[in-house]
Formats: sequence, structure tokens, C-alpha cells
Amino acid sequence: METEVIEKIVSIEKPHLEAPPDWQPVIMGILCNWCSYAGSDLTGTSRIQYPPNIRIIRIPCSSRVDPWFIIKSLQTTADGVLVSGCHPGDCHYISGNYYARRRFLVTKKLLNFVGYHEDRVQFSWVSAAEGQKFANVVAKVTEDIKKLGPLRLYKKENS
Amino acid sequence: MDYTKQIKEIAGKLFSEEKIDVFIGYRNSGFDENQVPVLIHHYQDVDQLVFTEKSVFNLTNYLKYEHTRNKRVGLVVKGCDSRALNLMLTENQVKRENLYIVGIACEGVVDEAGQKAQNCLECVMPDSVVFDEMLGTPSGKREYQVNADIRELDGKELTERLTYFEEVFENCIRCNACRHSCPLCYCDKCCIDQETSTLYHGANTTSSAFHALMTWSLHLAGRCVDCRNCEKACPSHLPLHLLHKQNEKVVYENFQEHQAGMIEGDRGAFYKYSMSDPDDFIM
Ligand code: SF4
Ligand code: SF4
Ligand code: SF4
Ligand code: SF4
Repeated sequence: METEVIEKIVSIEKPHLEAPPDWQPVIMGILCNWCSYAGSDLTGTSRIQYPPNIRIIRIPCSSRVDPWFIIKSLQTTADGVLVSGCHPGDCHYISGNYYARRRFLVTKKLLNFVGYHEDRVQFSWVSAAEGQKFANVVAKVTEDIKKLGPLRLYKKENS
Repeated sequence: MDYTKQIKEIAGKLFSEEKIDVFIGYRNSGFDENQVPVLIHHYQDVDQLVFTEKSVFNLTNYLKYEHTRNKRVGLVVKGCDSRALNLMLTENQVKRENLYIVGIACEGVVDEAGQKAQNCLECVMPDSVVFDEMLGTPSGKREYQVNADIRELDGKELTERLTYFEEVFENCIRCNACRHSCPLCYCDKCCIDQETSTLYHGANTTSSAFHALMTWSLHLAGRCVDCRNCEKACPSHLPLHLLHKQNEKVVYENFQEHQAGMIEGDRGAFYKYSMSDPDDFIM
């Protein structure tokens, strides 16, 4: 008689902690107004399916992302963060995303340094015309975070 | 390294010529071997001033508080302090014409154990980069090297680093002394106070420490000058330099060898950009 093998999901950083059976990751999506948010809108209006795990907030420009936003998301509900802005050269404010990508790199490296898996925080460039790309990016991030398991580091008690 | 005599003379001269309202220097603490910062307001107090290798603090921190705002200030700066001052000038926190800067060609200060401090062993710029008057013989810029502790931690597994930092964040009591003692943290409203200042509210949790210290160190990435004023102020003796040195390393390696405050008018690494900045980690 064959028995069904249920693979247990554990936190990658804390392997002794198991995810509850119906666990679904929560991903914080921080999208810039002019490209990525419009891109995600196009995904919706084109009726392209993407995982419902992402919770989107809209910001004026990717350079509005203080590393604080990412830290705060990770400290509260999120299991992962996706930050997305306009492609280099496409910024509505000309150079905002160039400033932003410097911060992204340093934030990502510091989080990894203190013990976060590097896939917990991801970044993408999605233009307003790339509805399909947005769906693919969200699918990839969700898939990655599902593999990493729930984030159990430095969480606020009641979140 | 003992410039006590020269500094007394300079301060005395500035006061008698009425060029300054206040002089920021060091004095002996009076109850142990260590020195503490002192604000001198009158000519007759000038005799308190000292300067030796025990003059560890970064005095530019006192420029951000009210008692020196819009006053004519004389102060002593070592190499690292002068880099912080350079950034404060660039970021319009102080006016150059209000300052009389006594620069030191620094030979390094000592830590609590009496050994040469780690940041001095790795110092990239011991000479004051902005000054009106220089004491000592300048020895010039030195080669950047990756911090010894960072090299060690980099070689460890993710989980080992996690265990290490969990203990660090756990031991923080959220007193915010690190932020207050950093000359480059001068915001009137600071976002880490959103986790309410916690000695009063009992929220000095590991989580709130993680939030505060990570945010704080990322706000100083590309600006921190490694004076270690923050670390000296920390009552829990946490290795705060690890966060800053890690950021410094990433900034140096990826953003055209940027070093904070070296050149007059140069801004922090996050306030400029280059077309060739790394992009491969972005989808
Ligand atoms: S870091 Fe450099 S300038 Fe600062 S005290 Fe040490 S040797 Fe002097
Ligand atoms: S931590 Fe950030 S917001 Fe707070 S004072 Fe420092 S730079 Fe300003
Ligand atoms: S963060 Fe610490 S070491 Fe860096 S400039 Fe501020 S006080 Fe100095
Ligand atoms: S000085 Fe030390 S204990 Fe106080 S908030 Fe900073 S890291 Fe925490």
C-alpha cells in the first residue's frame, strides 16, 4: 500500500520551525506609480492570472523606497518583499530608479549579512506595457518564498 | 600624541580675540583615566582642555544640538571626525563661516583595554580633511581594507550569522544612545521612533531592536565615517560597527570606491548614482 508523502514546509532560516498545513506566503509588493503599478494594472485588465499572495502598495517612484519600508514589512506580516520600478532610463523623474538601485543593493546585502536568505527581498523593473512580465515576476517570487517557508525572524509579537 | 599645550593656546587666543562663543574639546573626566567632551564658554576655563590618544569621542556630534546652533564654534577634529564634519557641511547642518576647526594629524586613539582601537588600525584618512589649523605631521591617505570582523563573519554560514545577530539584537535595550551620539543622525523626527521609545513602554524587544538598528544603519550607509562614537555610547557594548562596516564594504566595492566625507562637497553614496552601478540582482 502506498502512503502519500506530504512534504513539510520549514523556514529556511529556522529549520526546526514548521509551517502550518494551510500556510500561504504573504508578499509585500512595493510598486512605483508610473511603470510597475500601471504594469500590474495591465496584468489585471488583460485577465492574466497571477498568485494572490502579493499585497500591493503604490508609491510615487522607486526612489521613494526608504530601506525602512523593507525592514518594516519584514518585521510585521510579510514573508517576502518585492520592490518594482521603471526600467533604467524610463524613470518618470528621470533618475529616481538609479538612486533606488543603490539602496536596494545595500539593503539586500545587509539583510543577507544578518541572516536572511537572499531571496526574501527581490527587485524588478516592470514597465507599464509589461503585464505578462509582472505576472511572471509575482509567480517567481511567490514560488521562491514558498520554498523558503514562513519568515520567523524578528517578528513583532502580534503580527 | 599630545597636543594639550597647543590646543590650550589656540582656544585661549580665539577667546581673547573674541572670535568664538564656545570651544568644544576634551577634558579629563576627573574620576578615572578617561576623557570626556567639554564645552568651554569662557577664557578662564581654557585650562581644562587636553588632547591625547585618549581623546576618543567625535566632537562634531555637539554641532547638531541647540547649544551650538548659530554660535561661533571652535572645535578639535581628528581625521574621522573631520570627514563627518565634511558631510555635515555638505548637508547644510552647519555653516563653515561659524566654525574654527583645529585639525589633528591623528596617530590613533586607544580602546578601553588601552590598545590601539580597531578603527584606527584600519583608518583610511588619519589627517583632518577640513581645518583652519593643523596640528601634527600629515601622513596621507591609506589603502582601504575590509574590516577584520566582517571578513570573519563573511566566511560563516547563514544560520551561524543569524544566531550571532539574534544575540546582538536581543541585547539592545533601545535606549537610542547610538543614534543620538552619531553626528550624521540629526533628523528632528526620526522614523525609528515609530516603535515608541521604549524604555518607557516596555517595547524593547528583539524585533524592535532589529527594526531600529537596521533602519538606522541603512540611513548611514555610504555616510558613516567609522568614528565609532555610536559604539562607545552603547551601554550594552554591542558591536554596532559590524552593520556599518558591512554597508561600507558593499558601497566601496560597488559604487566607484566611494568613501564617505573624503572630499569637500562630496555627498553620501545614496545621493548620487552612476550608470554602471550593478543591476544584475534586479529581475
Ligand atoms: S579612525 Fe583614524 S582619524 Fe579616527 S581616531 Fe582612529 S586613527 Fe584617528
Ligand atoms: S536613523 Fe535615519 S531618520 Fe533617524 S535620525 Fe538617523 S538618519 Fe534620521
Ligand atoms: S554611525 Fe557610528 S561610526 Fe558611523 S558616523 Fe555615526 S557615530 Fe560614527
Ligand atoms: S546604544 Fe546600544 S543599547 Fe542603546 S539603542 Fe543603540 S544599540 Fe541598542
